[in-house]
Amino acid sequence: MKIKIEKRFNRSAKACAYCLGIFTLCSASLLLSASASAGDFWTLNWFTPDAPVEVTVNDAFINVYNAPGRGYPIFHVVERGETITLLKMKTDWIKIRTVRGIEGWIKRNDVLLTLGPDGQVPDFPDTTQADYLVDRFELGTAFGDFDGADSMSVNLGYRFTKNLSTEIRLAQNTGQYSDSQIIALAILHQPFPEWRISPFIGIGAGTLKTMPSSTLVQVEDRKDHILQASLGAYVHITGRFFLRAEYINDYVLTSRNTNEEVNEWKVGFNVFF
Amino acid sequence: MESRVQRIFLAAGLVSALGFFNAPVFAADDKDKNNDGELGKIITPDIERRHIKEADLDLEDFEVGLYYGVLSVEDFGSNAVTGVTFSYHITEDFFAQANYGTSKTQKTSYELLSGGVELLTKNQRELSYYNISLGYNLLPGQVYITDKWRFNTGVYFVAGAGNTRFAEKDYFTYNLGAGFKFYATDWLLFDLSMRDYSFKHELFGNSKKTNNLESRLGVSVFF
Repeated sequence: MKIKIEKRFNRSAKACAYCLGIFTLCSASLLLSASASAGDFWTLNWFTPDAPVEVTVNDAFINVYNAPGRGYPIFHVVERGETITLLKMKTDWIKIRTVRGIEGWIKRNDVLLTLGPDGQVPDFPDTTQADYLVDRFELGTAFGDFDGADSMSVNLGYRFTKNLSTEIRLAQNTGQYSDSQIIALAILHQPFPEWRISPFIGIGAGTLKTMPSSTLVQVEDRKDHILQASLGAYVHITGRFFLRAEYINDYVLTSRNTNEEVNEWKVGFNVFF
Repeated sequence: MESRVQRIFLAAGLVSALGFFNAPVFAADDKDKNNDGELGKIITPDIERRHIKEADLDLEDFEVGLYYGVLSVEDFGSNAVTGVTFSYHITEDFFAQANYGTSKTQKTSYELLSGGVELLTKNQRELSYYNISLGYNLLPGQVYITDKWRFNTGVYFVAGAGNTRFAEKDYFTYNLGAGFKFYATDWLLFDLSMRDYSFKHELFGNSKKTNNLESRLGVSVFF
């Protein structure tokens, strides 16, 4: 027999959070309307709560922590055969509710010690495997040196295969005599994605906008095309979190007689999701 | 001979007729058997045999928030600062955080004492900054207000870099800070923190390194 437990969502308070999510929802709905037919889109009821995600414990026991962190106290255990409802995830933790209504957190990997309604182990891929990163977006930031100027950059990438990814790079370089901005598109190849320190090479192209300091002589802003060749490495830290160090050789195609070569060094971190 | 042929046809006709009428009857029988009585319910319980995937769960790793505080800009007074913050919690230990804040600076002591001197125009007194930082939750903990009433807390460190726009020029800025998080619920938190923004400028002629302290109180939601 199943005991029905009343949902204790504080809807009015949650609405606040939903407002912030509206923008995300709008873009998501655009995507959805493209994939699903128009009819489906309008008949979908967005506010129906999803069916509860229930699993049955298939190990001697699973520890339940009172907060999502390894140091928090274990205040409960769920035993073999017990049905638990998975409520939500936060980093590597899953919030659960027992049949008796006790709420707590279990480790993400402990969900592999349970069985879903179909008798199968739930599908929670191992984040430490290289193939986990396929078909995923990557967001990163890096700090470094661009020909003497301080550089700060962000990159948004998409990984097609284990080895190949593409990315958009935006950089702001702040120097003593001039500031510059780079926007570029690059392709990266990572020959050994399963290594903890995994090297990569890349090529890219984009534009470089240079803005000389106004305190000096009045010089106009310049816009040049650049070609980039890069060499670097990803260092796996934990889960989806990587350190990334990179050297970029920028070849600036100027409108003057000679082209310029600029060396760029940076260190930053990247996250896959 | 004739009767024998007739008999064959008759038999064939009967069989086919029986088959025709019986087929749906058998099918109906099968259905009835399953739903029949208590036993049927036990044999085929009404469970949706779905496969659980990670994507079925709501992931609350993003945090968006607003903050208000005091930013002391070296030589330009202590000023109110407001900003927005966006974080992504990578693991239970690490998070990446983007901040954007604005403030309006005051006159320097020199400008006030000398009377008419104006170092900066009104627009140049506007200060804004952005940065991307990496944070580490160093001391996660809990506070116990009563026997049953507890809240999660955490002390964190954060370091990063970005740009400060001041006097209509960008300055590369390092930031270092620490803060205290108080989780009112799983998804709502208050954040009391301090940051130091360090950058060099040449507004007074020579290059000068400045340290600008900010204390702030923020509220964030996870989604």
